[in-house]
Amino acid sequence: MFRTVSIIAFLATFVSIGTYCIVRPCCKECRWTPLAVLRRAVRVFTMLFLEQKLSPVGVLRKLVYLLALLCFLVLAVTSFYPVLIFKKPIHGYWLMLHATFAPVFAICLAVLAVMWAGNCRFNKNDWPWLTRIIERVTSVKSNGEEEAYSGVPGPGQKIAFWLIVVLALPLILSIILSMFSLFGTYWQELLLDIHRWTALAFAIAAIIHIYLIIRAKMKE
Amino acid sequence: MKKGLIVTGILLWLPFVRPAVSATVEKLLGDENDGSRTNQVHLIPLYDEEIAELDKISYKIFPDDEPLLPFSIRQTCSKCHSYQTISKGWHFNAVDANVAPGRTGQPWIFVDADIGTQVPLSYRPWPGAYHPEQLGITPFQFTCLFGRHMPGGGPGELESDNIDEIMRQGISGKQEINCLSCHNGHPGQDQIEYAFQISQQNFRWAATAACEFASVTGSAKKMDDTYDYLMPVDNKDAPTVAYRKDAFDHKSRVLFDIVRKPSNERCYSCHSNLDVSSNSPERWAADEDVHLMAGLKCVDCHRNDVGHNIIRGYEGEDTISANPLAATTSCVSCHTEGRLGAPVPDHPGIPPVHFDKLSCTACHSGPWPKEKTILTKTSRAHSLGTLGSNKSPEALPHILYPVFARRPDGKIAPHKLFWPAFWGSIKGEKVTPINIEVVKKTLNKILVKQKLPRTGDWPDLTWKDIDKGLRLLAETIEGKPVYISGGRLYYLPRNKLTVIFANPYGWPIVYNAAKPYLWPIAHDVRPAAQSLGVFQCEDCHSTDAPFFFGEVAIDSPIAEQQKPSKEMVEFQDISRKYAWAFAFSFVFRPWLKVIALCCCGILAGVLLLYALRALDCIVKTITGKN
Repeated sequence: MFRTVSIIAFLATFVSIGTYCIVRPCCKECRWTPLAVLRRAVRVFTMLFLEQKLSPVGVLRKLVYLLALLCFLVLAVTSFYPVLIFKKPIHGYWLMLHATFAPVFAICLAVLAVMWAGNCRFNKNDWPWLTRIIERVTSVKSNGEEEAYSGVPGPGQKIAFWLIVVLALPLILSIILSMFSLFGTYWQELLLDIHRWTALAFAIAAIIHIYLIIRAKMKE
Repeated sequence: MKKGLIVTGILLWLPFVRPAVSATVEKLLGDENDGSRTNQVHLIPLYDEEIAELDKISYKIFPDDEPLLPFSIRQTCSKCHSYQTISKGWHFNAVDANVAPGRTGQPWIFVDADIGTQVPLSYRPWPGAYHPEQLGITPFQFTCLFGRHMPGGGPGELESDNIDEIMRQGISGKQEINCLSCHNGHPGQDQIEYAFQISQQNFRWAATAACEFASVTGSAKKMDDTYDYLMPVDNKDAPTVAYRKDAFDHKSRVLFDIVRKPSNERCYSCHSNLDVSSNSPERWAADEDVHLMAGLKCVDCHRNDVGHNIIRGYEGEDTISANPLAATTSCVSCHTEGRLGAPVPDHPGIPPVHFDKLSCTACHSGPWPKEKTILTKTSRAHSLGTLGSNKSPEALPHILYPVFARRPDGKIAPHKLFWPAFWGSIKGEKVTPINIEVVKKTLNKILVKQKLPRTGDWPDLTWKDIDKGLRLLAETIEGKPVYISGGRLYYLPRNKLTVIFANPYGWPIVYNAAKPYLWPIAHDVRPAAQSLGVFQCEDCHSTDAPFFFGEVAIDSPIAEQQKPSKEMVEFQDISRKYAWAFAFSFVFRPWLKVIALCCCGILAGVLLLYALRALDCIVKTITGKN
């Protein structure tokens, strides 16, 4: 069941992102010619570089983020690849790789949570965004105007960020607690299930967060 | 038209009905219980063996008969119990090719140090074991060799097709199922005497000699081929029975102390084990199996009905066993239901993956794994509990344990192991053992002159001996002769002695014969407090943990080959590098826990802080302060 749900969830996420990219491109002039796509891919790639204008704290933030990104990729691949492709739970070298990168990722998450939490607080600027969503859902028009991108994370990013922070807790705790001689087989299985399902939700939240960051950067 | 169809249908159906009817065995008085749980008094007459010449009639035995004959268990017991049904039970049905062999079990081990041979034998087609016929061992010889620890039936009752043996079988009789071996509750039941009688080829007399009210002298082995046991002869070696004077009552009946559930000691006659390593305690100092200490008997788990299809007690047995309780009488079934007061384990801190990869016995059975495997003896392999059994620790066969090896079902379990050593020949892609008699005759000049150690250990064979032996055999037998020992195969390609080293797994078919023979063990069971992993994960997951990296000794009569050993991991179908790396990762596990918990603390702190701020904001908004 987990495998099926995972496949559907990932497909839905990527299809939604793809559709959103096409329906609401990041810039009005965006085209879908091969050259334009390549140009955008190069632009995304350059986002991995450290910009000269960054302050030492900014450099640290970006480095931590990039490290977290790398860890996330490794963890996602090592955990979902055996399940989705081999139809087997994580085992062998996959497991060892997973367990090696997991604590690094946990550290990065903690650092990012401390560094980003302030920026990701919800404030009055997020209200129009929420109003817009409510409008779409309820079909009631408001008089508020949408605020232009101002360099701070958008509400989507913020939600994704807080989701990541919230999900990280059960994700880490479920697996760490199972390593202590506290829980019997029933609870061990439950903890593993929690870890598994939380990981799926976490991965989707992280993918959306990454996409929204890239989208925001492309808008700049 | 319709009538025609019905008649045709009935005619077609008839052939199936007939065998079904004939296959039904009539139930006798003792085959069915009326529900009473009281012990049935067995005050019964004795009957002698049926005599073919007299139209298969067996006669009642009277104390003043001349000559006084041994009683036949078959004739005496089968008056009330269906011998035919019982003979299909697990202890007696090895020779029946239609019986599913089930999980690999302990084989009979033919040992002849003179010719550097220890080879696993079984009538059951267990992988790695050879059919006795492959070594030229007839059922009669098999009974002579191993009947000491057999409850009768099986090969002991097979008719020989060898003319010489037919004569000898006429003198010795057959080894009938000896019900008393297990069900005699009298302390006078003497299995040592039984084994002695078998060694004297007194098969017909063995059950009588072993019971409490009779004694037998003489030896059928010493009698010549013309001897007739029904005709008294003046020969002190002629087997003679004497019944105790008070054995018979006034109606010439005898009281048997029959118990439905045999005592553990009866099982131990054939199923005793002894660890002979210098570090292993003697039996009096060793702990007993936890089930027995809890008051259970062997037969509380190893149950059977009149069909004697005793439960062996392994996972998956129910797929081949006709015993209806096979599915519900295993470690898992009792310990998940709490049956008979079995504690339902919680296994705190043990990741559930362990239950997919390990058998229950891996953590709970046998001795705690040490750096090296230890030598062990078993009743059946070392004639324990018989007159003159060699008490030396080095006595052959060399059985090693505990070896944590992967079973065919993919789970790792503790096993006993021994390295087959024998002279064989390559035919096609198979190595088959050469007839023992041929080997003995051929190698007599070079090997038998070796001085055998009194300890019962191997003689010190050399490469030269093997080289000579193979050359001599090459002149005698068809096919290419080989010698197998210590997991290696010695042969003479291009007239030069060559040895092939190989891993136990992934060998080409031709070298399979050199693979060690392993069989899973389940006893003695240790309680939870003494199980593997009770202290910490590092019980198994450390870079020097015996579970993965313990040494499995390689046993061989060739002195040069005795030193090297293998690691457990080689029997587990796991890469050593992986096992080591995985074990090494446990060094960092405490750090992982600390780091992860600290990170969780920080994340929780951030969440709490901003949740409180958000709450503050909401409260201020609601109260109109913001």
